[in-house]
Amino acid sequence: MEWFTHWSIERRVLAGFGLVFAGIVVISAISYRNTTVLIENSRLDTKSHELVQLLDAVGEALGAAESGHRRYLVTGDESYLTSYRAVTEKMPEYLRYLRGLTSEGPEQQARVATLEQLIASQLGAEAGAIIQREKHGYEAVRHLALSGAAKNELEGIHRLMTELDSAEQRALHARVAQSAESTRNTIALLGLGALLQLVLLASVYFLIHHDVTERRRVATEWQSRGELLQAANKELEAFSYSVSHDLRAPLRHIDGYAALLSKAAGEALNDKARRYLQTISDSARQMGQLIDDLLVFSRMGRQDMLRTTVNLDQLVKTVLHDLRLDLQGRTISWTMHPLPNISGDPVMLRQVFVNLISNALKFTATRPETKIEIGATKRNPGEVEIFVRDNGVGFDMQYVDKLFGVFQRLHRSDEFEGTGIGLANVRRIIHRHGGRTWAEGAPDQGATFYFSLPLARSLR
Amino acid sequence: MTTVKPILLAEDNPRDAELALAAMEEHHIADKVVVCHDGAEALDYLYCRGAFATRQQGNPVVVFLDLKMPKIDGLEVLRTIKNDMNLKPIPVVMLTSSREERDLAQSYALGANAYVVKPVEFHQFIKAVKELGVFWGVINEPPPESSRSLPTKDL
Repeated sequence: MEWFTHWSIERRVLAGFGLVFAGIVVISAISYRNTTVLIENSRLDTKSHELVQLLDAVGEALGAAESGHRRYLVTGDESYLTSYRAVTEKMPEYLRYLRGLTSEGPEQQARVATLEQLIASQLGAEAGAIIQREKHGYEAVRHLALSGAAKNELEGIHRLMTELDSAEQRALHARVAQSAESTRNTIALLGLGALLQLVLLASVYFLIHHDVTERRRVATEWQSRGELLQAANKELEAFSYSVSHDLRAPLRHIDGYAALLSKAAGEALNDKARRYLQTISDSARQMGQLIDDLLVFSRMGRQDMLRTTVNLDQLVKTVLHDLRLDLQGRTISWTMHPLPNISGDPVMLRQVFVNLISNALKFTATRPETKIEIGATKRNPGEVEIFVRDNGVGFDMQYVDKLFGVFQRLHRSDEFEGTGIGLANVRRIIHRHGGRTWAEGAPDQGATFYFSLPLARSLR
Repeated sequence: MTTVKPILLAEDNPRDAELALAAMEEHHIADKVVVCHDGAEALDYLYCRGAFATRQQGNPVVVFLDLKMPKIDGLEVLRTIKNDMNLKPIPVVMLTSSREERDLAQSYALGANAYVVKPVEFHQFIKAVKELGVFWGVINEPPPESSRSLPTKDL
């Protein structure tokens, strides 16, 4: 049953309905066949009953003919001949009917053929006797009048008719037994089939019911989660607003009063004291920078996304123009491959390139010649991969998971400055565009940062 | 003799107010600054009522407005100013810590003349306040009804 549990709900339901359908087809076929047999038997039964009745009628008619001709032979009364003729005239009709009724049974057919001959010869003999009586009078047929004109034939006819009758009765009984059996089978089959269908339908119902309940539960859960998330988002918004406004004020005061103190105390301060004041100011400023970066990070997550076609070549050009102050006094060899147009938020994507190129510039500052390469590859259909490669200090791949975390840094702040939020921002923006971020590098071998963007997919 | 029209600074945080004054002092415009500590006080000043009932008539040359203030906040003060025919011409500069987009958008929608984010760094803060004070208090030509120089009544 393990394979069954691996099946999807649709497949299971389909299999269930398939079985029900197959069951219905099989039951219908067998019922049809059985019913056809019943109908056929009933038709044959009707024929048999007709045959039995017909045999009686034929017997009666022959009897009437025999007694009629004998009475004529004895009395010479013409009135007996009238009833005799009425009977004999009907006989061909009876026989034709008899042939029709036995047309499907060769044995009965053979008997009927013999019967016809016997009847013909009996009637012939009787007719002969009547003619003799007419021509030669009673004495000529005296011996016939007592026993009948065709005594032998009559006996044969009776025997044959009995045979015909009993053969028909036997066939009738056999068919009745067969019909009863067939009916019993059909009823049993229908009962069993109905039971099976019920079980199958109940299973399918259970499957669907289970699935629907599960789906409803999940939907409710998602809804409540969505509401919670919305509430949390609102709270976060209020929080970051408060951070933006209230947390910066004391920092401004720390830096401001340190500056005022430095100015007021002036010459009275020695170098050490001045350095302390400087450190206070630097720390306040650094925290201000951290707060600003965090706010940007938070905004990137909450801000509504625009969706337009972005010319990445153009975007990189403007980013390089904006970074021109950082490029002064640096020897940089750029390798720029053509970038595609993609659908996304231009401000956010600009932030991605600013962060990645600034990083590349920062971590190659110690190199005599900086090499930066920007390009795109199309490895998977439906998405494009963009990379920024540098020949800087690189990183150890065992820390690759930390690269994109908030406030995660792989270098001491006295080596390379920064708050550790740039790549976190990159990841957040790319995720919102439905893409992925990853990096490759080795210590002192440079680093390559990748991100993928879907080419034509709805943005989150 | 001429008097110089004041600069109105609405700032609830006394330290920020002090730092702003320190900045303006460097350009000798600090003595022209009137500091109000919440929005209600600022409106009292503008309408010459309450503690300011006896002040010399006339609008300030510029209003520096903090956004987040007790009682009546900066946006409310801004709305009041810009809805009053007499106060409407006064240039209003939002001076705030908030860089939030909706604050910016709301301020400009209500008719703010400028929006300045207070820098954390003191030197930049001084520079910003000084430049603001000099621009709005000295360089900028104010609307006629609040011209910088008016003959005093007791001439």
